[in-house]
Amino acid sequence: MDILQYDAVEETLYREVLPNGLEVIVLPKPGFQKTYATFATKYGSIDNHFSVGDNPPIKVPDGIAHFLEHKMFEEPEGDIFATFAKQGAAANAFTSFDRTVYLFSATEQIDENLTTLINFVQNPYFTDQNVDKEKGIIEQEINMYSDNADWRVYYGLFEAMYQKHPISIDIAGTVESIYKIDKDTLYRCYNTFYHPSNMLLFIVGGVDAEQMMELVRSNQASKTFTPIEEINRFFEPEPGPIKERKKTIQLPVSLPKVMLGFKEPEVTLSGEELVKQEVVSKVMLDVLFGSSSAFYQRLYDQQLIYDSFGFEYNCSEQYAFSVIGGDTPQPDTLIEEISHYVKETLKTGINEQNFNRIKRKKIGSYLRMLNSPEAIASEFTKFRFRDCDMFNVLKYYEECTLADVNQRLVDHFNFDQLAISIVESPKA
Amino acid sequence: MDFQKGTVQSLNVHVLPTNRFKTFTITLFAGTPLQEETVTSTALIPYVLRRGTANKPETIALREQLDELYGAGFGFNITKRGNTQFVQFRMDVINDRFVKSEVSLLSEAIKYVGQMVTHPLVENGQFRPAYVDAEKQTLQKQLESVINDKIRYASERCMEEMCANEPYRLNAAGRLEDLPHVDARTLFERYQQWLSEAQLDIYVVGDTTLEEVIGYIEQYFSLPDRSPRPYERADVQYNVDEVKTIVEQLDVNQGKLNLGLRMNTGYASPNYAAALVYNGILGGYPHSKLFVNVREKESLAYYCASRLDGHKGILSIQSGIEFANYEKALKIIEQQIAEMKAGNITDVELSQTIAMLSNSLREMFDSANDMLGFDFNNRYANTNRTIEQLLTEVQTISISDVQTVAQQVELDTIYFLRDRQGV
Repeated sequence: MDILQYDAVEETLYREVLPNGLEVIVLPKPGFQKTYATFATKYGSIDNHFSVGDNPPIKVPDGIAHFLEHKMFEEPEGDIFATFAKQGAAANAFTSFDRTVYLFSATEQIDENLTTLINFVQNPYFTDQNVDKEKGIIEQEINMYSDNADWRVYYGLFEAMYQKHPISIDIAGTVESIYKIDKDTLYRCYNTFYHPSNMLLFIVGGVDAEQMMELVRSNQASKTFTPIEEINRFFEPEPGPIKERKKTIQLPVSLPKVMLGFKEPEVTLSGEELVKQEVVSKVMLDVLFGSSSAFYQRLYDQQLIYDSFGFEYNCSEQYAFSVIGGDTPQPDTLIEEISHYVKETLKTGINEQNFNRIKRKKIGSYLRMLNSPEAIASEFTKFRFRDCDMFNVLKYYEECTLADVNQRLVDHFNFDQLAISIVESPKA
Repeated sequence: MDFQKGTVQSLNVHVLPTNRFKTFTITLFAGTPLQEETVTSTALIPYVLRRGTANKPETIALREQLDELYGAGFGFNITKRGNTQFVQFRMDVINDRFVKSEVSLLSEAIKYVGQMVTHPLVENGQFRPAYVDAEKQTLQKQLESVINDKIRYASERCMEEMCANEPYRLNAAGRLEDLPHVDARTLFERYQQWLSEAQLDIYVVGDTTLEEVIGYIEQYFSLPDRSPRPYERADVQYNVDEVKTIVEQLDVNQGKLNLGLRMNTGYASPNYAAALVYNGILGGYPHSKLFVNVREKESLAYYCASRLDGHKGILSIQSGIEFANYEKALKIIEQQIAEMKAGNITDVELSQTIAMLSNSLREMFDSANDMLGFDFNNRYANTNRTIEQLLTEVQTISISDVQTVAQQVELDTIYFLRDRQGV
């Protein structure tokens, strides 16, 4: 068991990779009542074309990772929620682009709940009947999202930016695609991606690290798994350019919603270097568009934006893009204002005082995040699956320089790469 | 968990000294009666206050200050409990020991809230008109945006119909039709009245003491002579004459079926713990009757759950279904309510629910916001039940206790949001 000490944030991590390949991390939080554990596989909605070892590659229906997540909760003896409930644990799961996470939080019977978490995720039980039954439920989930304007404008932007990459596919799939899912394909996906060597178990809370580790060790030692084989994920090469400049969706909304996305034509970095790029990009966006910027205040005063205005930066080895936007009465004017402002800033560069202020803000916000066991587990897993350490992020914020941000500004904002998504009410 | 309590200038101070968190959490509750005449102007107050103070008249300076305080989190929300409208200011700042700060971040954070609430920007005896106009627009857009979230829309509409003759029908965020009548002068008058009559409670959780916090409040808050109006709590007893059924049509892809029920039991009732267990068995969890029967057995919905509002004694049920399944889903939901009344509850349902409730009560100790929220609920309801006591009460609830509560429950309103086709 490795012990990793992070003095700057007063945290200690315990880490071990078991013989079957499973990585286990324990973060004791003395004084906490609660224990929160996540069991994650590096498998999400984008992993729809893959092979294992020398086997031929297969393509699977859209939404299958999310479907699988739903079905994992069913065991031969019934719904696993009932078992967690008996043991006083709140359980849940979620699927994102690149991972599926199962979790519980509990204040008692930690050993039992941790065992339940590991065992149910490592025991798939799919039948023709229970797979069919789930389709109606997921159909309602998809319908629920189709009425959600924020979700629609966000996905509209991915569709406008990406030509081939599956990031533009809705995580839940479509009503049509989920009806193509069957038991055999679910098992195929399960056997590929739920091997312990593709998974990470994270435990945080008022626990003893060695005791938790021993429980996991002996649980895993009692099970047999097929030998570790390499997973190959296939992605059609994504062309650099965006797919379409502007995508408009009609849905009844109180005000139009607009999002601008700058797609980076290629991602050349990986690992820690990519994390540094993410940190610099986030500082850059906050200086430009944060609520303490002069630009934000001016547009707010002109009633072009409201409190819903926001921005984010997302990147992985396969995609990198910024998202900027919110509700506005005048989409075209807002797009024009943002474009003009970015072009002007490209000429002048970013002001040092604003840079220092935002850097300070980001450092404080990062530290505040460490109050939340849920956020730590989620962020740690996300970074670990990219072969990075979340606790390095603080250092990267501290090391970030004005020159880095100004260089990023030039590298990131390319107006040929701008895609726009709009949701507006149908014209009467 | 023990909050230390004090009073400064009729402001109630509650401090929980603890070193478990990396932050200081500050919350100020300002409560006034929920009523038609003032609901909108009261809701607008925090929007305008956040724009400028006497010391920092320009909004941008206030925003920059939050960045300087290491990205302090600041926000406000407007809520209701029973017959009271609450304006709540929140601040979350890191403990100084993690950074090399020249000033006490707790002191600066309390100063920020104190100046915003008690030293606003006043020009010519009124708020700055440009700020008031802009924030009226913001609030208007906010109120109009409820339609974008159909789950929330259906839930608010159901409450509005159900409580048509009670203050609770009012949205705490205000009414669109009142906004044109508010201006910089009338809003400033309302602010002065609000500040003198509101019940004010400030909470601080973090590595500090009551004395330190009181010192900062004396320094940074300057309140007028105040006569806070006592809370008028809602009566949770209510007889339903006739069940209301409301069908509304909009351009939606999914139907929203919501039900509103009168519990006739509330936060201050002796059987409140049994009401919590009732809600848990009926619809609070994935093992609950609603989830199991509507979703798992019939695949009618992705979500179907219930929620208890203890201060008002109302239980609401929410679900998202196909339009054509209205009758079927309604029948199954009503059947679950009937099962509860008949006491058709298994030992397993009871023990699972008690275990889940106990867990969420214990988890509160790990969250500064949960702890102060729980303490404030006691303060509002004039009860003094600790988390530990409620935990003990919940664990002794029997099926017959739940049935006793169930027999007082009355269905009041059925609300269905559907598409424009069909009837």
